[in-house]
Amino acid sequence: MWAQIDRILREATNQIADQVANFLPGLLVALLLVLATVIVAVLVRVLLVRALRGLEFDQWAEQTGLVALIGRPVATSPSNSLAQVVYWTILLMGLLVSLTALNATIPSQFALSVFEYLPNLLAALMIFVVGTIAARFLARSALIGAVNMGMQSARLLSLGVKWLVQLVAVAMTLDHLGIGRNVLLLAFGILFGGIVLAAALAVGLGARDAVKEALARQLHDPSRDDDTVNHV
Amino acid sequence: MASTGLNSSIEGAEAAAGRADIVVGLTSHNHVETIGAVLRAARAGLTSSFGPSATCFLLADAGSTDGTRQIARDVAGAALIEVEYERGPAFTGLPYHGEPGRAAALRAILQSAQRLGARACAIIDAGMQSAQPARIERLIAPVLTDGFDYVSPYYVRHANEGAITKAIVYPMLRALYGVRLRQPAASEFGCSGRLAAHYLEQDLWETEHASTGIDLWLAAAAVCGDFRTCEALLGPRSGPTRGVAVDLSTTLAQVVGALFADLEHRVDVWQRVRASSAIPVFGTPTPLDTEPPPLNVDALVESFRLGYRELREIWTWILPPRTIVELRRLTEMTPGRLRFDDRMWVGIVYDFAVGYAFRVMPHDHLLRSLTPLYSGWLASFVLEARGENTEQVDERLEQLCLAFEAEKRHLISRWRWPERLR
Repeated sequence: MWAQIDRILREATNQIADQVANFLPGLLVALLLVLATVIVAVLVRVLLVRALRGLEFDQWAEQTGLVALIGRPVATSPSNSLAQVVYWTILLMGLLVSLTALNATIPSQFALSVFEYLPNLLAALMIFVVGTIAARFLARSALIGAVNMGMQSARLLSLGVKWLVQLVAVAMTLDHLGIGRNVLLLAFGILFGGIVLAAALAVGLGARDAVKEALARQLHDPSRDDDTVNHV
Repeated sequence: MASTGLNSSIEGAEAAAGRADIVVGLTSHNHVETIGAVLRAARAGLTSSFGPSATCFLLADAGSTDGTRQIARDVAGAALIEVEYERGPAFTGLPYHGEPGRAAALRAILQSAQRLGARACAIIDAGMQSAQPARIERLIAPVLTDGFDYVSPYYVRHANEGAITKAIVYPMLRALYGVRLRQPAASEFGCSGRLAAHYLEQDLWETEHASTGIDLWLAAAAVCGDFRTCEALLGPRSGPTRGVAVDLSTTLAQVVGALFADLEHRVDVWQRVRASSAIPVFGTPTPLDTEPPPLNVDALVESFRLGYRELREIWTWILPPRTIVELRRLTEMTPGRLRFDDRMWVGIVYDFAVGYAFRVMPHDHLLRSLTPLYSGWLASFVLEARGENTEQVDERLEQLCLAFEAEKRHLISRWRWPERLR
């Protein structure tokens, strides 16, 4: 009996050793890949920052208004920010590649599917970034225009424009990623249909006198007799 | 429909005219109500003052549909040459002066004047409601008889009129280029053939703000070059008629945008100028005999307060904290006691100019966000000028101009070292 126990133990130990022996090279390769990725990512970040500063990317980003369109002061310069994004992207891709080296089916398939999905992801990211910038630009345009028209609810109008454009950008991003397409379409339809219906009811039933007075003020406002002054 | 440059009918008309010592150019766009009177007054002025000289009228019309051109033909007769020009892409909105393609029109007029060998050229406003024969004489005589190259109009105006020129354009142009042209953005001027040739060599005709800023840029080109400049008193200015009202924010954005764009173009000139000098003024002053147009000061103060409340965050991108604090103090004052300090106002204008040059935000946003600040300044100025006569108002403006000159070093410092002073 002890011989049998001993035999079973030896077989189990050998199996574990075999599996570890089969797994270890893959693990070592994966670790090497991660290490190499970190080194490459750090090198690329340093070189990219130097290259962007040499090309005066920070000044270009400020002059084209890209920094201002983001809407608030950022702690790091545009070139540092871009280099950080590239750094983390390389790290992430390196991690995914290292998963394939583990020779495990699920992680490998996951990594391959991520790589196949990458172009969609990048395009969706571009849509989101452009949409966000457009939302902030249009919100600021609406704010300044409404203030110059003397509208007390300028801030509210600006927020409405911003969130509307942002919502459209998010919806387009999710649609491009293929995430919840049907749910998205339905939700959008209900939301906008609801907003339009509510606004129509509010204006038609509850606020028609206010709208009438506002329109009359805009068309024949006696307080705006400074319009006859030539300012130039 | 845009026309296509020079054609055989213009060549024929110019050939028939031969040579003209004096050329009077008009740009028009639906000015059927005023162009007849303007041409008659100009013709009478030319005949009485420059009788024997060969004269010619050049009309650059921007596609009027109300019979403006026919009226001009009927009044001027054989002395009229209609100048065609390429109007370029359609303007997305009317310029503040109401004439689309004004830059191309002026260029075409100056080119025709050059071909006619004109010694003096006067550009007059086809929409002027108070056309007097003496005006044309005052624009031409300094060029023909006294050897000046550029004659700028000097209108007598009420305190609340031309506030953008008084608050920003005149004092800033004076501080930058050292010449005291009181109304550089006017739609009328006189120039010599030499200056006209210089204008045609410049590359400012097809730039971004040409349609709205051409008058200002022509004035700046004259004062920055080796040309003799003077002013001509043309009496009260009754504003030209406009087909479509242009809102204050758009007017401010166009005029100030043209001024700030010129700063970038001539940075090597204005950074060397240290003080301003007066220029000769021709003509006798005419007192104002009309009531000032009404201006709602309360609405201006409210616009300023609303602007502070909602646009303060945008202003912090352009203005230093001490200015924001000072503006807050002003919003808390009662309307009657609102007073913009000259130095603060000069700092605001210069900071916006620097912000424009370094593109801290899209140009249109920056320029339009200046509107509430301008409204506040105008309210302050009008309240201060209540009960004052023209001389007292002029003295007040002189103080403002001196403040612009004194603070110019602030503009130069921020222009050269924007990071250090942020």
